[in-house]
Amino acid sequence: MSSHAAAGHIDHHHDATTTTGIPHKKLFMWAFLASDCMFFGSLIATHLIYRLHPPAGTPDPRDLFSIELTSGSTFILLMSSLLMALAVNSIQKGNVATTRKMLIGTIIFGLIFLGGQVYEFNHFVHVGGLTLNSSVFGSTFYTLTGTHGTHVAIGVLWLVLMYIRTFKPADESNGQGWILKGVFHFIAFTALTVLSMYTILALIHVLQEGHGWGYYFSHHYLSFGGSIILLGVLFAFARQSGPVDFGEAQAIDVESMGLYWHFVDIVWIVIFPVVYLLEYIVLA
Amino acid sequence: MSATAEATDVLHPSDEGHAHEGKFHVFVQLAMILAIITGMELLVIYVPMPHWLIITLLMGMSAVKFVAVIFIFMHLKWDKPFCTILFFIGLILGGGTLGALLLIHSADASAPEGPAYEELG
Repeated sequence: MSSHAAAGHIDHHHDATTTTGIPHKKLFMWAFLASDCMFFGSLIATHLIYRLHPPAGTPDPRDLFSIELTSGSTFILLMSSLLMALAVNSIQKGNVATTRKMLIGTIIFGLIFLGGQVYEFNHFVHVGGLTLNSSVFGSTFYTLTGTHGTHVAIGVLWLVLMYIRTFKPADESNGQGWILKGVFHFIAFTALTVLSMYTILALIHVLQEGHGWGYYFSHHYLSFGGSIILLGVLFAFARQSGPVDFGEAQAIDVESMGLYWHFVDIVWIVIFPVVYLLEYIVLA
Repeated sequence: MSATAEATDVLHPSDEGHAHEGKFHVFVQLAMILAIITGMELLVIYVPMPHWLIITLLMGMSAVKFVAVIFIFMHLKWDKPFCTILFFIGLILGGGTLGALLLIHSADASAPEGPAYEELG
């Protein structure tokens, strides 16, 4: 914990030094999210209009959708919101260790959601033949859900950077060393993310094809082993020694990031029934 | 600590402790409620009911989840009302655009025309 946290109890909802009484970072984030509402409102409207007036050649989405997968993704995203809220709650108490655990949990859940979307898109393209150009439905569906997925990916990137930021040492004389270490930490995180997603998707593919675990390990031992090694590297980076320049005073940074993450969740709360569930009613 | 943080209001330590404890339980309970509502959304589409009722139920449950997340997970309940006003300006504009576009395109005069639609007839 930084020395800041011990200095006093901060009111995280009000800031007497600003004209609005609201911290500037929080105000900026709410203004941005308000503008993003209009952005997603337009995308959802476009998708719905073409679903209500489908041109010839529009595929039946029920032949493509996997409601079980989408429901699982929805649950994962909701739980990631819980972990994000707990991360904010922890840092507002100056508890850096718990904040890190909650951030890691949120990152993992975010990646699971993204993995589900990659799997879903891959299935739609290769099995259903649905591409951006194949039909208006493909264009509006991929634009809407892809834009949401991009928001999730940006959120995960932000979470990773914030997680690495929690390790900044309080001793400022170690400035250059910390930056270099942070860069390597980020590279290891990115490499593990890419490699583990590839490994897990390969495992799902192998199991779907009816091959066993033996086949999987004989063909993907490099990616599996690499993931384990990178996981070990991340554990080594996470070994903390000495005080850090991160605590209750930085809670507003975590809270702003949390607002963004929860927004991604509420957009999906709308997309899930409107884009997926309604297909099983309106066209039934 | 930054100058901004130093000048913020100071809470009584015991008050803050209670607030944080309370929030933890509220967050966990809310997550459970959201999961249950999501399960209900899934069940509703398989229940034999009129379409208008299913759509109303789905939109209602979605709205409840939406409001719960913004007011509790996103702390609007505890923040200054200006944050709520600011966000709802964007939300109303976005929702209004969505509603207006759907109404415009549902009108008979706006019925789509062209080769792709003639094939359907």
